[in-house]
Amino acid sequence: MQVLLIEDDTEAARFLVKGLRESGYRVDHAADGREGLSRATEGQFDLIITDRMLPHLDGLAIIELLRAKGIGTPVLVLSALGAVDDRVRGLRAGGDDYLTKPFAFAELLARIEALLRRRPQAPHTTRLKVEDLEFDLLARRVTRGGRELELTARELKLLEFLMRRAGQVVTRTMLLEGVWDLHFDPQSNLIDVHISRLRQAIDRGSDHPLIHTVRGSGYVLRSDA
Amino acid sequence: MRLDLFNTTAFRLSVGYTLLVMLAVSVTLGSAYLLTESLITDEVDLIIDTELRSLEEKFARSGLPGVTDEINLRIDSWGRIGAVYMLADASFERISGNVTHWPFDGMPTEARPEFEIATIEPGRRAVHPVRAAVRTLPGGDLLLVGTDISQGRRFAEKFRLATLAGIGLSTLAAALAGFWFSYRLARRVGEVTRTCQRIMAGEPGRRLPVAGAHDEFDALAVSVNRVLDRLEEQARTLRATFDSTAHDLRAPLHRLRTRMDALLLRSPALEPAVHESIEAALREVDHLQRTLGTLLQIALAESGAALASPAAVDVDELAAELVELFEPVAAAHGLILECVRAGAAVVQGNRQLLAQLLTNLIENSLKYVPAGGRIRVAVQGRGAGVRLTVSDNGPGIAAADRARAAQPFVRFGGGGNQEGSGLGLSLVAAIARLHRGRLELQGNDPGLRVVVDLPG
Repeated sequence: MQVLLIEDDTEAARFLVKGLRESGYRVDHAADGREGLSRATEGQFDLIITDRMLPHLDGLAIIELLRAKGIGTPVLVLSALGAVDDRVRGLRAGGDDYLTKPFAFAELLARIEALLRRRPQAPHTTRLKVEDLEFDLLARRVTRGGRELELTARELKLLEFLMRRAGQVVTRTMLLEGVWDLHFDPQSNLIDVHISRLRQAIDRGSDHPLIHTVRGSGYVLRSDA
Repeated sequence: MRLDLFNTTAFRLSVGYTLLVMLAVSVTLGSAYLLTESLITDEVDLIIDTELRSLEEKFARSGLPGVTDEINLRIDSWGRIGAVYMLADASFERISGNVTHWPFDGMPTEARPEFEIATIEPGRRAVHPVRAAVRTLPGGDLLLVGTDISQGRRFAEKFRLATLAGIGLSTLAAALAGFWFSYRLARRVGEVTRTCQRIMAGEPGRRLPVAGAHDEFDALAVSVNRVLDRLEEQARTLRATFDSTAHDLRAPLHRLRTRMDALLLRSPALEPAVHESIEAALREVDHLQRTLGTLLQIALAESGAALASPAAVDVDELAAELVELFEPVAAAHGLILECVRAGAAVVQGNRQLLAQLLTNLIENSLKYVPAGGRIRVAVQGRGAGVRLTVSDNGPGIAAADRARAAQPFVRFGGGGNQEGSGLGLSLVAAIARLHRGRLELQGNDPGLRVVVDLPG
């Protein structure tokens, strides 16, 4: 997988490049906005990671210029600005995801994985299936091994989020954003408690637990440990 | 606040001045009128007295026939215009003169009695007022001399009308001037008030209007504008310093975090003890970052900037969602967390910030309320706005400490664990202010009740 990193903080960029390479990505680095734009236009990348504030050309401007040229490569925006509206502006400009610095490297990896594995879901998908766990999206019914499970509306939403990303690591922040539409981190271990409730409902008494904790990252729903 | 014209100092002052003008003009014109009227009367009386004296002298010299001749002579030949004479016997029967019969009922009691005589003038019948004096001649006959005072009366009447009109017109002029004056004053003060309100509401760039009249209002506006410029400049400098400081802190924090992350990902893996320490250090970095982020948000709210792109937020639904989100955690703490809903309670605002506000309040209660306690989040419609109440039956905050509880880095109670930045309530206050709302901490007997009023 080919990733372009546009970041003017060279030291931070060095560690990011190193970390990403160790995680199996091929990484190109551009140190300012203009260089980033020309690399992004010329090269074939599966993903672009860009800082929000860059010399010469701002990260959001890069996205807008790329989109105007018909280049639809997924873009992850990194920002040092914590303002809430900044995220909205970033997404509106055509960015696909947004991450505020400083972030955990595991968070970045999970976001990258999510963006790379994202493919347009068939709009008429009405059933999600992972092993013997089945989710009827129309009837909002979940069965495990044919036995119907009783879940609250929120638990259904949480499970749907996990099943649509089956096999991918999903972080707590991603869950807060995706399931609760909250774009800040509460201090409590909220997500852990909700996951543990869902786990009770899904995996209790089963020989094949589906929801797994990924240490230091988050959770993953998959068929084998 | 709208200025009510009739409730301004300027208006009350102009009403006072109008009354003063009315009084002054009334006294001046009124005394002139009274003086003129008495002058006219005095002149008439002088004429009457002079004639009476000369006729009495005539009587003393040549008796009744002499007086009769003199009267006839005065009537016919050089009789002055409007002169009235009558000589009557003791039983008021006419002897001579130009009055047909005695005009009084017997002897008049006043010194200068007045009566009216009707005359036939060419074309019309006229009634003339007459002022007169009566003398009893030696021998018992009565001598009456009078003067037609219709001209004086007419003059006095005109003078009186002019006086009244003068009083009325000058009062009206004073009232109009006063009204115009107080209207202008109220308008300019109103402009100042409105501008100040808009500045408070988050338009720090606004300035008081300067009319260019070089008057005291312009002087005031210019001075106030200078103060505002200075304040804005200071806020900007502070903001810039803060922003660059925050940015300068964030970049090294980011590098620090990335480096430590890289260490954790290294292969071969670190010794477990080292791994643990690095993870603990990472948590400290995250804590620092959170504090910095919160400070940035508070600074943004305190800078008086208006809320960027506000949208309709159903606070009732938001509260229900957050209570649902926190309920399992509360249950794990042995607490009951409940939501009292209002139906729909929409305010213009930022959903993320309002969620953060509620989150901070709920987490605050979670932190301090001991197991077995209860936390209640209530939403009430209140006029066009919404009242959010988060109450608990925990240890609460002593009344004396409540006012400073929302100041940054103030913590209370050794009971709760000391985690947290000490910025939670400051951020709540800042978010409330950003939404033009207000935060109040109350006692809940026992416990704490936090009330946030948001305008609609």
